[in-house]
Amino acid sequence: MIPARTARTARLAAEAKATRKRPKRIADRAHTWDPATAGVVLARLGPRPPLGYFSPTEEAAARPLLAHLLATWHDEADIPVLSFIDERLASGEGDGWRHAGLPEDGPAWRRSLAALDADASLRHGRTFAELGHGEQHRLLRHIQDLGSHDWYGMPAARVWSLWTRYACAAYYSHPHSWDETGYGGPAYPQGYLRLGRGTREPWEAPR
Amino acid sequence: MTPSHPALGTLRETLRPYGDVRRRNASAWLPPVGRLRRNMRRYDDTDEVDMVVIGCGAGGATLTQRLAHAGWHVVCLEAGPFWDPDTDWVSDEAGSHHLYWNEPRVVGGDHPVPLGANNSGRGVGGSMVHFAGYTPRLHPSDFHTKSLDGVGADWPITYDDLKPYYTRIERELPVAGQYWPWGDPHPHPHGPHPVGGNGQVMLDGCAALGIEARVGPVAITSGRFGNRPHCVYRGFCLQGCKVDAKASPLITHVPDAITHGAEIRDGSMATYIETEGGRRATGVHYVRGGRPRFQRARAVAVAGYSIETPRLLLNSAIANDHDQVGRYVMVQGAPQTAGRFADEIRMYKAPPPEVSTEAFYETDPGRPYQRGFAVQTVSPLPITWAEHVTAQGHWGTDLRERMRDYVHWAVLGSLCEFLPQPDNRVTLSPDESDRNGMPVARFDHSRCANDDQLMAASQQVMEDILRAAGATELMTIERYAHLVGGCRMAATPHDGVVDADLRVFGYDNLFITDGSVLPTQGSANPALTIMALADRAADRLTRGEVPRP
Ligand SMILES: Cc1cc2nc3c(=O)[nH]c(=O)nc-3n(C[C@H](O)[C@H](O)[C@H](O)COP(=O)(O)OP(=O)(O)OC[C@H]3O[C@@H](n4cnc5c(N)ncnc54)[C@H](O)[C@@H]3O)c2cc1C
Ligand code: SF4
Repeated sequence: MIPARTARTARLAAEAKATRKRPKRIADRAHTWDPATAGVVLARLGPRPPLGYFSPTEEAAARPLLAHLLATWHDEADIPVLSFIDERLASGEGDGWRHAGLPEDGPAWRRSLAALDADASLRHGRTFAELGHGEQHRLLRHIQDLGSHDWYGMPAARVWSLWTRYACAAYYSHPHSWDETGYGGPAYPQGYLRLGRGTREPWEAPR
Repeated sequence: MTPSHPALGTLRETLRPYGDVRRRNASAWLPPVGRLRRNMRRYDDTDEVDMVVIGCGAGGATLTQRLAHAGWHVVCLEAGPFWDPDTDWVSDEAGSHHLYWNEPRVVGGDHPVPLGANNSGRGVGGSMVHFAGYTPRLHPSDFHTKSLDGVGADWPITYDDLKPYYTRIERELPVAGQYWPWGDPHPHPHGPHPVGGNGQVMLDGCAALGIEARVGPVAITSGRFGNRPHCVYRGFCLQGCKVDAKASPLITHVPDAITHGAEIRDGSMATYIETEGGRRATGVHYVRGGRPRFQRARAVAVAGYSIETPRLLLNSAIANDHDQVGRYVMVQGAPQTAGRFADEIRMYKAPPPEVSTEAFYETDPGRPYQRGFAVQTVSPLPITWAEHVTAQGHWGTDLRERMRDYVHWAVLGSLCEFLPQPDNRVTLSPDESDRNGMPVARFDHSRCANDDQLMAASQQVMEDILRAAGATELMTIERYAHLVGGCRMAATPHDGVVDADLRVFGYDNLFITDGSVLPTQGSANPALTIMALADRAADRLTRGEVPRP
């Protein structure tokens, strides 16, 4: 038997927990982060500089490519993936390695976008951006299915991994994507207190 | 301590006073390293210092501290920055890119190994700034796999030669975890940490299958250690620990080195080791602030890790009479298996290194392969997790949907003992140089049949553990982790680059004190072994057991 008072306390605690305000977005918790982290993360929500690496032609191919890879047709404006990738390539900040036979990441992006347009015009007589949604999707599926086979002088799988690596790093660095995945975000100096299967912090929404 | 008395051993280890640790290395009791640095001793390039150490990572920083402590005049050249964790490090995946070695390198072979974030650090503290924190020892068998199992190589030293140094370093980091029942059973100086969802999954799964698993061993304070606080379970160990709970040489060895007069010269990229008469090193050419400089020295120790150390020796055209430099570079096969659970796991909480098992470490005569593997928790953050998901071929809506499910997944990783092979090697790219005009390194890597079998066997075990813990869906990707070898230790110059004292064959005063000297790698994460080897080399030098150069 649970004594009445304990039961009442437990009920009140549960109610208090349920009504405690959950922030709508992880970014709203920025005041609990250390200044260095908050600075870096919140900058991603700020205004974006104009593109500095991709040419207009490359940009035209890259936009629908990224929209397909990340399924962002409806919420594209939300996370400026292309701008993040452009900034990274413009800064020349590499990953510290490249495959033998492939150029550095920046030139590899350029080559692969040109190849995307070349492949589209070979099949349909139009650029990749001008293709219909279904045509674009099928072309990408085809490239993915090539695996380690050659695609315009590059192993298709390496191109695919370059695209998805950059696309995911950009998309999942944005705090709005954390609202989508349920990731709790930075936690210093606060730390996480509720560890273990089936537990969550009061401000974490159940999933 | 015998394995039958784990409780007593743990009791003794955790109750012992810190006096000897503090006398040997007071780093944890000193003021913050940023403050110490302001009064750091500086040497002139023209001073003939007792030792120039190249690289301030696991091996280089340990050597620097030990020699300085013994009164040697030491300059440590570090290519990367002297970090201020408060302002330079962030709790963020994408914002931590500057911690890695991002200079150009080329990877090739049948199974090319991604470098950068995956295995190479830069800056004071080296790769340990963003290492996960697992600090297991090698097993006694690792030191003679050739005689024992007919594969790999025999080391010129045994486990017993290294054991006292393992114990010393474990106390200085300090290492937290349960009593260790595998290899040479031993207690840890700090008690185990509480586990998060991912650790719990591994413990549950292993318990259901009767596989022994233990919490730890991690170089993360469990409780206070000197001025260092307890871990806050924020899960960013691979992005640099702002809390100072996770060990890296920046806080475990550099502070004491500085107070004993060592200079840590950051932003200094060594490009060429000057030698005289093919027997003596006389100093190091390096680039600082875009300017070429030369530091004179009575002795030189290279500690740039398995890619940069061979690159520097090859570029200096030294120590390679027997074509051994750059060969036998190893990575561990590190497939990652993820399982989906109805519960929320939220693997981003708590340090990613939580629980391990070494139950499959040794050669099992009933299996078709030699040597074995370890299994550990890994817990990727969202960007790394997205790589795991896209590697399964998911993209578009499919990818987004799976990513939405992030908090329900737990991830285990194995470390398979890949065998050393002469053609897995670092060479200089003939037609590509970095901004200092130094040829870029190329690393070729291919697996052998035994490697493939270990990958498959460890995947099977991880799948079993996750299923036993209640996983309803599984996803595995192939990965590689860690780097060792490239300038291995051997009994003769025909088989390696350095002798048992880490001295380069044929030289009186040239040493290599980093991960590149390991002849085999076991299934243990390498950092503790690298530090213990550097400690041993320093001990022998400072005691005069190796003639002082
Ligand atoms: C993501 C990740 C996770 C890891 N997890 C673990 C783990 O859980 N447990 C574990 O035991 N190990 C782990 N490791 C591996 C471990 O960190 C390394 O094995 C270890 O730090 C290597 O020690 P080292 O002294 O050989 O080299 P490093 O620690 O890498 O130090 C080398 C230093 O030399 C510098 N340098 C290189 N070339 C030059 C030059 N020419 N001039 C001047 N300076 C130079 C570099 O900037 C670097 O700071 C991990 C590594 C990574 C990257
Ligand atoms: S989880 Fe602990 S050890 Fe890891 S970074 Fe956070 S505070 Fe440091």
